[in-house]
Formats: sequence, C-alpha cells, structure tokens
Amino acid sequence: MKCRQKLVLLGSLASLLYAQQFKFNLDHLSAKASNVVDISLGGPLLQLGARFLDSKDPDQAAVKKMVSGLEGIYVKSFEFKMPGAWTMADLDAVRSQLKSPDWMKMVGYTSTADGENAEIYIRMEDKKINGVAVLVSGVKELTVVNIAGPVDLEALASLGGHFGVPKIVPPPKKK
Amino acid sequence: MDWLEQELKQALDRKDPATDFAERVRRRTRGDGFRTALWPQRWLAAAAVLMVMAGAGLGYRQYQGNQAKEQMMLAFRIAGEKVNHIQAQVKERTR
Repeated sequence: MKCRQKLVLLGSLASLLYAQQFKFNLDHLSAKASNVVDISLGGPLLQLGARFLDSKDPDQAAVKKMVSGLEGIYVKSFEFKMPGAWTMADLDAVRSQLKSPDWMKMVGYTSTADGENAEIYIRMEDKKINGVAVLVSGVKELTVVNIAGPVDLEALASLGGHFGVPKIVPPPKKK
Repeated sequence: MDWLEQELKQALDRKDPATDFAERVRRRTRGDGFRTALWPQRWLAAAAVLMVMAGAGLGYRQYQGNQAKEQMMLAFRIAGEKVNHIQAQVKERTR
C-alpha cells in the first residue's frame, strides 16, 4: 500500500472515531469557571452507551430514539461566578467556523436586558439536517453544543420537557 | 544366623539396577507420559487466566458503557434545555 493510500485510510479512520464538526477552542476557560461540563462522545462510545439505556424509562427511551444514527455529541458548558470571564473573541472563534455553505444559522436571539445571546446553526447534507450547533452565552455562562449526525430538532427540544425539567412554553399574549 | 536375619539380609541386600534403568527414566521424563501428566494443570491455569481477563474486559466494558450513558443523558439534557429555551424565547419575540 502506498504512503498516500495509508494516509487516506488513517484519515478516514480518524474521522470515524472523531466526528466533531467544528472546534471548540475553549479549554482555557476551564480554570476560570466554577462549573464545567465537558462531554465528548464519538460514534462508538455513543452506540455503546445507547445499549445501556433503559427503554422503560421515558427519558432514556427518548434519548435512545435520538441516538441511533448519530455520529457524536460534544458539549462544553461553563458557568462562572464573576461576569466577564469569557470574551467575545472566544465566541467568535467558534462562530467563525459555522459559516455557509456547510452551516446556516437557523435561529438566534439576543437579550440586552439579561445579556443573553443564543443561536442554533444547522448543517445540511442532501437536504437533510446532518448536524446541529448550539451557542448560548450569558453574563456568567457559555455553552457550546455540537450534535453530529441526523438530528430531529423538535425531538431534541422536547427533551427539555424531560429529565424533570419543565418544558418552557411562552405565556399567552395579553389582549 | 537364624532364618529371620537371613531373610532381612536378602531383602536389604544391595542390588544393581537393570542395565536400561537410566534410559527408561530419561525417556519417561522427556517423553509423552511426563508431558501429558502436566497438561491438565497447564490448561486449567491458561483457562483461569483467560476467564479472569474476559471477566475484567467485560467489567470494564460495562463501566465504560455506563459512563457513556451518563454522559449521553447529561449532554442531551443540556442540549434539549438550550434548544427548548431558544425556541420558546424566539416564539415569544415573534408573536
């Protein structure tokens, strides 16, 4: 086997093992954070974990449904005690990778009142969602999520109503 | 010398082994007979090692699977919460 073929084979193997669709570059924030969640689950670990999910448990059954076909799920979430621990450059370093033609911004909002900013990006392949990126930043919080693979966003949002966390429904508008 | 002493002398008298005795001993110790005597012990030891290794492997796989499951549940909880929150905020703003 020629050297180039070996490299291609190694590259494809590596991509199978590591399916993250963009880089997070946020490790330097860990030291400043009071609470850090760092999850990096590639395909094989994801499928292994899925085998341990209990279909009788409604939360786990909902996750089990979503996991089949996924290539990976990657989460970095920081909570800070003091404001100003993260900078706009940290967020921009992630955001700059989520550009057309691979990615498109699906929805986003900014709240100047509480300094919150949130965005959802999707990655399309053959007219189907093949990846989701979620960026949420607050004064004392920064969360980046990448779900690699076919994702049902409605099903994902409905998970917000599981796990004992009440689903957020906007209050009816006053007449 | 009475008959008892005679008997004892004969019984305890030094005797040379047969001429092929040394060769027979050598053959037994390196031959199949000697090896087959140790086979069951060796196989048992190997089987025990394999069983311990398989058990440890299964245990580690179980641990790894449970860890992955816990991480997966946490990841989906965070992702679900965020997406749900964003959708609710956007819906509220666009009404």
